[in-house]
Amino acid sequence: MSKKQKAILTISAIIALAFGIVPGAGAMHIMEGYLPPTYCIAWGAICLPFLAMGWFSIKKTLDKNKKSITMLAIAGAYVFVLSSLKIPSVTGSCSHMTGTGLGAILFGASSVSILGLIVLIFQAILLAHGGLTTLGANTFSMAVAGPFVAICIYKLCQKLKVSKAVSVFLAAAIGDLFTYCVTSMQLALAYPSAEGGVMASAIKFLAVFAPTQLPLAIVEGILTVLIIMGLETYAKSELTEIGFIKVV
Amino acid sequence: MEKTIIVCLMLFLPAFAMVISLTVQKRNNEARGHGHGIGHRHGSWMAIDYFAFSSKLRRWNATFKLAFTLVIIFLCIGLNNAFVSAVIIVSMFYMVVAVGGLSTRDYISVLSIPIAFILISVIAIIVDFSKLPVGDFRIFIGFGYLYSSISMLFNGLRLMLKIIAAVSALQFMILTTPPSEVILVIRKMHVPNKFADLMNMIYRYIFILLDAFSKMKDAAEARLGYRDFKTFCRTFGGTAGNVLVLSLKKAEAYYDAMESRCYDGELLFLEEEKKISLRTIISATLFIFYLLLIWFFTK
Repeated sequence: MSKKQKAILTISAIIALAFGIVPGAGAMHIMEGYLPPTYCIAWGAICLPFLAMGWFSIKKTLDKNKKSITMLAIAGAYVFVLSSLKIPSVTGSCSHMTGTGLGAILFGASSVSILGLIVLIFQAILLAHGGLTTLGANTFSMAVAGPFVAICIYKLCQKLKVSKAVSVFLAAAIGDLFTYCVTSMQLALAYPSAEGGVMASAIKFLAVFAPTQLPLAIVEGILTVLIIMGLETYAKSELTEIGFIKVV
Repeated sequence: MEKTIIVCLMLFLPAFAMVISLTVQKRNNEARGHGHGIGHRHGSWMAIDYFAFSSKLRRWNATFKLAFTLVIIFLCIGLNNAFVSAVIIVSMFYMVVAVGGLSTRDYISVLSIPIAFILISVIAIIVDFSKLPVGDFRIFIGFGYLYSSISMLFNGLRLMLKIIAAVSALQFMILTTPPSEVILVIRKMHVPNKFADLMNMIYRYIFILLDAFSKMKDAAEARLGYRDFKTFCRTFGGTAGNVLVLSLKKAEAYYDAMESRCYDGELLFLEEEKKISLRTIISATLFIFYLLLIWFFTK
């Protein structure tokens, strides 16, 4: 086999792996019952400072303007609805957005932690995605880590004077990917591999979820850019009202 | 250990077979317009809300149901025993379907939502990678071996059973308790009032936004807006942005509407008083003891 043939074979194998066997999985919620009790409690505890921070930020907003409670509620409901809508992934099967990247860009990372927690509770009791005992772990990966990274990347891109579309795309896609990495780490910590320990297990989890999560991150990035572009075209005034970055 | 698993499967299989036969029978009887199999159906996200409101177990006290569910889930993951898991799966199915009056088909379709995640994540547990040819089954993949062994397979099976049991326990709550009642329980747990208010409002807005979304989606679909992937992305982006703008515009109106109905910073809802009968508490306690006994005798 020539070098070129080998390269083609490798690339086609990667494409086959990435897009070949994809059941209709959504964003990566850890299911009820997956984590041992100690991990459930530990992840919940790790989330607490972030949630407290988010709560104080929301409280400050509410004390300043009582009316903003409806605005916050709509933001939360919007993230939920966005995450419940089916979007076609590249393979033709359906998946769901996480929506937290967009939420972080529009409403700020701190309030998204609280809104994300509420959204996750509703996803558990209305959609049967995720669970009550795994709420802590899911909150950390989806409502804290993902949005936090998304907002950092967005701000960094703005500092570097990257165009808005590119920075929104990068923020949403990388935020999504980071959520996926954190979830894989959480799973690996709970179920380390017999031979290679936590790291080997993490690689295994990353590998089995890659076919669903990598295309999803890209689609989520594209859709987020389109939503922001739509908003900018039709709703400049509302966007300035919510400060684009911070809610009210 | 292997024996336990086999006995457990034997316990579990007849129940499963019964379920399948019931489902098939029902589908044959009804022969609905366009048949969706077990699995995702149109608007399955709304379905859970609907099922919860129409369940006969709705008149049970919500605090009791939430507490019971949490105890069962923690027993399930804490004891980590295949027998306990099997008993939980069967009894939760019995509670929701036989006592609660939900159809078997609907129960299975909700239960199958997390199946994709369960299967994928179990693969990662039953397959391992090594440079040496170890384990009972292995495939050579160029630079090492993907291998698996009987004990790993059993571990995976046990884990799967445990997850399905925990999900069934969760389903017992979500399929019998409307979210508004869950929020009332959360409010009683001394979380900040504003948090519960926010939850209540979000719960209500979800349906408003979904309605707006589906109307716009129908309109766009009628104009070939979801023809292929590219148009889909454009339409989806436009619709999603538009829904947000419209609802943000309405946010102030919602607040005024609440204020004109005497809202002064706290949302209070009339709570149906639901007493817990002594019989329910005793049977729940007995059930928990039964699970502990099973664990004690099979550990």
